[in-house]
This record gives sequence, structure tokens and C-alpha cells, in this order.
Amino acid sequence: MSHSINRINNLAPRVIVCMDIKQGRVVKGINFKQLKDMGDPMELALMYEQQGVDELVFLDIAATIDKQKTALNLVAQIANDLSIPFTVGGGLKTLDDVKAFLDAGADKVALNTTAILSPSMINDTAKIYGNQCIVVAVDVLKTSEALQVYSHVGNELTDKSLFAWCQEVADRGAGEILLTCMHKDGMGDGFDCALTQKVSDSVAVQVIASGGASQPVHFLEAFQNNIDACLAAGMFHSKNYTVNEVKNYLYKQGIPVRTI
Amino acid sequence: MKNVLIIDTGSGNLTSLGAAIRKIGFNPIRQTEPSSDWFQKNDLGDIDAIVLPGQGRFGLVMQQLKKIGWVQYLQRAKQRKLPILGICVGLQILFESSAEDPNVSGLGWFQGKVEKILSPKSPMVGWAKLQGGFADQQYLYFVNSYAVKNSDFTVSTTEYGERFCASVQSDNIVGMQFHPEKSAKIGQNLLKRALTGSLI
Repeated sequence: MSHSINRINNLAPRVIVCMDIKQGRVVKGINFKQLKDMGDPMELALMYEQQGVDELVFLDIAATIDKQKTALNLVAQIANDLSIPFTVGGGLKTLDDVKAFLDAGADKVALNTTAILSPSMINDTAKIYGNQCIVVAVDVLKTSEALQVYSHVGNELTDKSLFAWCQEVADRGAGEILLTCMHKDGMGDGFDCALTQKVSDSVAVQVIASGGASQPVHFLEAFQNNIDACLAAGMFHSKNYTVNEVKNYLYKQGIPVRTI
Repeated sequence: MKNVLIIDTGSGNLTSLGAAIRKIGFNPIRQTEPSSDWFQKNDLGDIDAIVLPGQGRFGLVMQQLKKIGWVQYLQRAKQRKLPILGICVGLQILFESSAEDPNVSGLGWFQGKVEKILSPKSPMVGWAKLQGGFADQQYLYFVNSYAVKNSDFTVSTTEYGERFCASVQSDNIVGMQFHPEKSAKIGQNLLKRALTGSLI
């Protein structure tokens, strides 16, 4: 039923490109481990905007740049040069951090470990800036026995139950959930559509699928499964595909994406 | 160069809006309160167009506008036919009231009320296609949970769970429920046209 509801609406499924930042450069991690240099964040951001990306996400922008001031300057520059929405996340520990990045011009902040350690930060941020400013990033690993929620960039197993945690963050005021399926990340064999859809059906906010995309067909599978938005990184940074190519493909397949 | 006044009610960041106004070749002037000079001279200052804020709660934005004396300034600007653009909550405050804060009245320039949208997911976040008016069939970026469902001044609508006003207009007063400053090239184009009073 939710499938048909979505399709009579005018809201386009979103294609989002994520950039992991380390020391001012975009890097690509493989299975949350090895890193590869992919280029300059501002250059890539403007290129993706030209290609028709719907939104951009900058992760670890604060965590890995030693001086927060440098990170804030980068965010201010992005806000000034970019004409589409963007999210920043990684290393935002206090409400002051969140305020600093939103005031610098970020449209949204993504909280992951901080949301787990201090969940009231979600409420506090929502109260001041509104739900639309907070994306809670949830890293999940599907094993043969369980769905495990991780924190600290996939390094620490938490005691959170996936569905209860997603419900809690939505109740606390998250505007969206970014669901990264760690078992899919870097594998290149597509999103975990079944799990993402199940999470999406269980909460009142949009859920962004992340982890596993390497081809346009992976976006098609996700959007056919009524997923609201898909995030990818490597397939675009490596220049295997442009956002435009992926969207034109989706459009031809009958998915009402925004094309340019 | 045209001076565009951005009214800052302190409820959201205005970096992108200022940047978008600069990109279309205008000079953004961000103020939290009207200068005392404008009051004394019963004047609008050296302002060519006005943008009403796009973020925050209906009630907080309105209370701030009333407290600081912006309402009188806006009335004067309206009488003198200055282009006035309300973005998102800025559109909503042009109406009489909102379900978000039922005890606070809006500017009431347009008849009607703001209601919660019964959408599949809330808040609505993303690019939605407009129907009717300027930018017909174009995608613009929306971030909202509330909207005006019916108005005599509707120019375009969009749909997410239910249909609502994407833009409204009466002479030089334009309201956009979407965020033109976040809507790439098409957004800048609409911004420029709204601020020069040349949207049809």
C-alpha cells in the first residue's frame, strides 16, 4: 500500500552523494577500514551539483580536522558556494558543536555515536532548530543471528535494538534516519532493500539507504522497494558513473527522479 | 545594485539565502531590527525588496516580528508595492493563523490558515514537482510539516499525501513554500523574478 501512496506524490526519490572527509580531502573507505584519496570536497561538491545530485552529505568533517575552526570555515564555504542542501556529521559531540555547524550554514547535522551516548541531544537540537535539521545515522550489521547496531564509526557494538532505536530517535525529533548497512558497505552488490524498507515502514520519518551501491540498477531496486532516498559514494567518486547517468537511467525505468 | 532586506528573526541560519541573493547580483542586507532612522523618517530605508524568513516556528517568527516592530515596517512596504517574498514559514505568516501555534495570529494579508500536512513521512524533505503557475512541472526543494491547503491566491500546488499550496501571490507579494535558495539554478531564477516583481 505504501508503494502506491508514494508514487501518486510529487516528492522525488532522492539520490544523495556522501563524502567522507579526512584532513580536508574526500576519502573512500572500504569496509570502514582502508582509505583512498578521492579529491577536493568543494570541487567535487560543485561537480555533483552540476550533475543534478539532490543532496550532499559530508561526514567526519569535524572529527578528523584537528581544529574545528578549519572545519567550520569549510562548512561556511560550502554553504556559500552550493545551491542545494547539505548535511554535515561526524565528531559533533555537544550541543555547541551542533549549533556551530548549523550556524556556519549546514542545513542538517548527522549524529551517530553522540545520539547513542547522549540521546537528549536529538531533542535539544530539534527544539532549537526543528526536526528537519537532524539526521540520525544508524550503522547496522546483519549477522546470521542478529541485527547489531554499532557506534564509533562501526567499531563498537552497542546494546541497541535496531527497530527500537530507530523508533526512539524519530520520537525524540530526528527528521530523517540514515541507515548504513555495514554488511553491504563496500561490497558493491546493492543496498539491503529489504531491511531498509522494513525500517522505513516502522517509522514516521524518511529513511536513507546507505551501503552497497556500485551500479545504477541498485538505485532502481531501492526505489522500486519504495525507499525514500539512497546514498552512495565510491561509484561516483571513482567516476564510474555520474549522478546524471544514474538519474537518466532511473527516469527511463519509470522512477520519477528529478532530472536536469 | 538592488538592496534586498533579509529579516532575521534569529530562528535559523541565513547563509544560503544571503549567498543566493548575491549570486543573482543583488546585495543582501540582513537585519534583526529596523534601523531607528527608518522609524523616525517613516521610511523604508534604501531597500528595494524584502525576504521574510524561511525557518523556525510560526509563533516564534510572528512574535519576533511583532515585538521588534517589523510588522509596521512591512505594512509600509506593502503599501508602497515593494516586492516582498515569504519563504516557507515566511509564506505561512502571510496568512491568518497556523495549527502549529494557534494562539498567535499571522500577518493576515492572505485569507486562510496553515495546517499540518497528512504526509506519508513527516517532515516532508526533498524535491517535489510543482503544478501550475511559474515553474510548472519543475522540481523545487521543500522542508516542511505544515502548509496552506487552500487559498484564493494559489499560483502552484504540489502533493505529498495531500495537495497544498507551493506558491501564492498577490501583486508584489509572493510566498514560496519551497526553498528557492536550496533549489539550484531554478531556485535562483525564481528568487530573482520574485525580488524584482516580475513573476507571472
